[in-house]
Amino acid sequence: MNPLLYVIAVPFILGVLCFIPGKVRYIREAITFLGTAFGFTLSLLIFLDMPMEWSRFGSVLLKVDHLSGFTLLAAGFFTLFIALYSFRYMKDTLYPARYYGCILWTFAATAGALMANHLLLLLVFWGFLGITLYLLVLTGGDAAAPAARKSLAVIGGTDALMLLGIILIYQLSSTFQIDGISLHFNSLAAYTAFFTLLLGAFAKAGVMPMHTWIPDVSEHAPIPVTAFLPASLDKLLGIYLMIRMCFGMFAMNASVNLVLLIVGSITILASVSMALMQNDFRRLLAYCAISQVGYMVLGIGTGLALGLMAALFHMINHMLYKTCLFFTAGSVKQQTGSNSFADLGGLGRLMPWTFVSFLIAAFAVSGIPPLNGFVSKWMIYQSLLKLKDTGGSLWVIWLFAAMFGSGLTLASFMKLTHAVFLGTSPVKIVKAKIGESGFLIIFPMAFIAVLCVLFGIFAFSGPITLFLQPITAMLKPTISGVLPMPLYWSAGTATLLILAGLIIGFLIYLAGNLKNVREADSFTGGEELPVDTRVSGIGFYDTVRDLPVLGTLFKRAEAKWFDLYELGSNFAYSVGGLLKKAHTGLLNLYLLYILLGLIIFLILLMGR
Amino acid sequence: MSLLLYFIIVPLGGAFLLPIISRLRESLSDWVGNAITALLLYCSVYGVITASGKTVTYFVGGWRPIADIPVGINLVMDGLSGLMLLIVNIVALLVTLYSVNYMARYTDKGKYYTLFLLMVAGLNGVILSGDLFNLFVFLEITAIASYALVAFGIEDEELEASFKYQVLGGTASALILLGIAVFYQTTGTLNLADASRVIAGIGHTPTVLFAGVLFMAGFCLKAALIPFHAWLPDAHPAAPAPISAMLSGVVIKVLGVYPLCRLFFNVYGITPLIQDIFMVLGVVSIILGVFLALSQWDFKRLLAYHSISQIGYVVLGIGLGTPLGILGGLFHLINHSVFKSLLFLNAGSVVYATDTRELKELGGLQRKMPVTGATSQVASFSIAGLPPFNGFWSKLIIIVACVQAGQMLFAVLAVIGSILTLLSFLKVQRYVFFDALKEKWKNVREVPFLMCVSMIVFALLCIGMGLLLLPQISAVTLKPAADVLYTGLEYATKVLGG
Repeated sequence: MNPLLYVIAVPFILGVLCFIPGKVRYIREAITFLGTAFGFTLSLLIFLDMPMEWSRFGSVLLKVDHLSGFTLLAAGFFTLFIALYSFRYMKDTLYPARYYGCILWTFAATAGALMANHLLLLLVFWGFLGITLYLLVLTGGDAAAPAARKSLAVIGGTDALMLLGIILIYQLSSTFQIDGISLHFNSLAAYTAFFTLLLGAFAKAGVMPMHTWIPDVSEHAPIPVTAFLPASLDKLLGIYLMIRMCFGMFAMNASVNLVLLIVGSITILASVSMALMQNDFRRLLAYCAISQVGYMVLGIGTGLALGLMAALFHMINHMLYKTCLFFTAGSVKQQTGSNSFADLGGLGRLMPWTFVSFLIAAFAVSGIPPLNGFVSKWMIYQSLLKLKDTGGSLWVIWLFAAMFGSGLTLASFMKLTHAVFLGTSPVKIVKAKIGESGFLIIFPMAFIAVLCVLFGIFAFSGPITLFLQPITAMLKPTISGVLPMPLYWSAGTATLLILAGLIIGFLIYLAGNLKNVREADSFTGGEELPVDTRVSGIGFYDTVRDLPVLGTLFKRAEAKWFDLYELGSNFAYSVGGLLKKAHTGLLNLYLLYILLGLIIFLILLMGR
Repeated sequence: MSLLLYFIIVPLGGAFLLPIISRLRESLSDWVGNAITALLLYCSVYGVITASGKTVTYFVGGWRPIADIPVGINLVMDGLSGLMLLIVNIVALLVTLYSVNYMARYTDKGKYYTLFLLMVAGLNGVILSGDLFNLFVFLEITAIASYALVAFGIEDEELEASFKYQVLGGTASALILLGIAVFYQTTGTLNLADASRVIAGIGHTPTVLFAGVLFMAGFCLKAALIPFHAWLPDAHPAAPAPISAMLSGVVIKVLGVYPLCRLFFNVYGITPLIQDIFMVLGVVSIILGVFLALSQWDFKRLLAYHSISQIGYVVLGIGLGTPLGILGGLFHLINHSVFKSLLFLNAGSVVYATDTRELKELGGLQRKMPVTGATSQVASFSIAGLPPFNGFWSKLIIIVACVQAGQMLFAVLAVIGSILTLLSFLKVQRYVFFDALKEKWKNVREVPFLMCVSMIVFALLCIGMGLLLLPQISAVTLKPAADVLYTGLEYATKVLGG
């Protein structure tokens, strides 16, 4: 049998085994570990042994090229780490069978979707992922039910649209083979096909306006689930599909790229602004995750080789730091029982490993050099600057959105850092004697944090040369060619300089100030304060709410005025209510309907 | 092949014996009821395999046609009838299995099984009848048995529903009977195959068409296509759950969709105008049905409106008239039988455990009733068309067929219907099985073993029926059925020879 089949089948079958009723926790964990470790190892072997394919019924059904090999490897890596983290975090879950079974199924289906070379096969795996997401979110308990419903409604709904798009593609190019499709935007059908598929990718990746399920899921689902699907694998799949479409199946034109650039910019700015206003660790991370996808969409929207590479790199970086951030949120939740800013504060001293990992990931997401997030954002800025050469001056707007968004991300993480790790602890935490989490929580978190650093410092000799350049070379984007080296950010030198700066600064601090530090209570103007008074992170940036236009927008957004799911279901319910009025239960009315139908038939069939 | 006769006389004989047997001992009626439906399932599997897609005709009493003109009654089993027999008898067996425990809620199981077997005899009879009048007689047997079964609980709600069902069902029967009279007056024959030849000779004269109008209205009423649907949301929820499963699962298809197909494809010969009517009826039913379903808060009523919407898909697919469209429509027909029966049985289990159908009163039952919950999830994903469940494949084929036939608007509407269906079933899942468990359901327990078995088998069918599309399996099940409709007027030659 072909190894490509094993990477789907083995985790899937092991996942089925997890559903066998039984109370022994270790058996399911062992199965999950086996399945995910097998998945990762085999993805690595497949990556080293590309290209590969598997044919049946006269067509190439599965195919691994540079792009799918790389994404598959990433999926295998993250699944393994999520599984490791879950063994500790999810040990008291009420639904162990569903949880571990669905983790394995998710990996199997993701592998299938990434390798599929047949659009219908892609759709089957893709749709199945919606179901596993739904089931995984439901392991969050009763409170997660509405979020689960919303996520499957959005994802399942867009899957149905994707089906339409896929059939249109088949009509236009008379093949379902992804590598055999090359469409031009010369008809309404081509546009419809593109945008329906794009909506599917948007819903998975969480690009506006299909993003609304992510904050709800993040808030209520167990943290490993959030770190697994919305924060990493779903992003991976969404961006993967977008790249397949924009650099393979469709020959992009300027106006479609413009749509992507607009959507990307709006996503960055709108959701980072929402992130600023959140008062929950996980909700803030969720909005920030949405905003980061905006960068990837911007990169793809440039249509340039550099942009594509930047988008892919940013995707993988985002998976790293966002998983790490969710892991730290989990660590905090595990120890304190809460993720709400009102209950947190001053954890930096109590949970040093968590704090350091968090800081690294938070700096990475805010684009601070020399961490990985900076490099990919730098590349995105460069690709946006390059748009200058192809004419138009709109690039200023995109660049502004990207850079300003980055600043706001930093601002939102300052709020988060203060609210959770700095400041004073609430009485409850002081009393509870909170300590650091266990090894199985710290290890995945710290390991990924280290990767964030390494991917930043060795960006060019490491991931870019190993993974990304072959992909860019393979996809041959519209404007390809070797990149001029000055565009590259010389990470090694910069890191050395930064380190030197830090050391010198520290020396100065030691020399000058250490003895003169004075500790005093906060100045309260002489007022007597109750013992539990403290500055929590909640009030941060609340002044925005009082601004004229922006404040109104925030209030509307929080009332779900811009939520397509809410709008859609409200519309459907009102139409249903209207139709209900025509069904009063009176027989004469029903007989009238029948008579009407009969008359219509008579006119139609005999009216000639 | 005299086997065909068994499909009718076995359940009919059982129905007559049961009142006596149940006098001896009530539990005997469970055994006899289940044995008969099991036997029927065995016969239909055997029959379908031996016929292997060919047309089998049985001349009752040995009255063979003289010079290709039929003189007696004949029973016909071709690909389409085979497929319908198979699905009817699978559902019937699983439903009787479910009834063993479920119907203990009501008194007099003997009468229940009697009526049930009469209904099954009628369904098999409609499927196998080679002539219009017998078809009508069997249709009436099923209809009258189901009027009684809907009222089986004899509470206010059941009686009112049954009354409405009788009035509107009676209207349908009257239209059909009038149609038969006009048809006979014009063509001089009631045998479907013979009539097909006669009409091919005289063409679509006004009287033939007038009969067609009456048939179409009558059978659309039985199939509950909008605007002929109003009886269904009252009748189906009121019946005991196993009967709701039969009514929504197979009865509307056998009494409504099947005769429509038979008459307009095999006897009249399909015309673009009739195709258009079918497609428009289908799409209107899909959209209006699903909007109506979405705003319901009664579990079974919601399911009933979805039946209207899903029958819309069936009729849309068949109405396309292309081989792929017909195949998709028929595939959706059997898929819908499976998942909608399962959903009604799930609703039945919920009622069995809690005595309520109000979504807002339920909640959190998943942990208390894991089998019901898990099977209902499978069924919900199937009806919503999520891969890899059976509903996905049939909707996929129907939508592909729509696009291929150039009916983009219908394809888009079918997709929208599918999204709304998903929305509606996510609502059911949330309010019934998830959310917080209410205090009063603290002591709810899973339903008895046999009910679970029945639901699990249905759920496995939902998961596995996608395999019917594999070329080897499709060649003996779906393909022959679709061919019967696609080849249309060749029906006469296949039945009567020559």
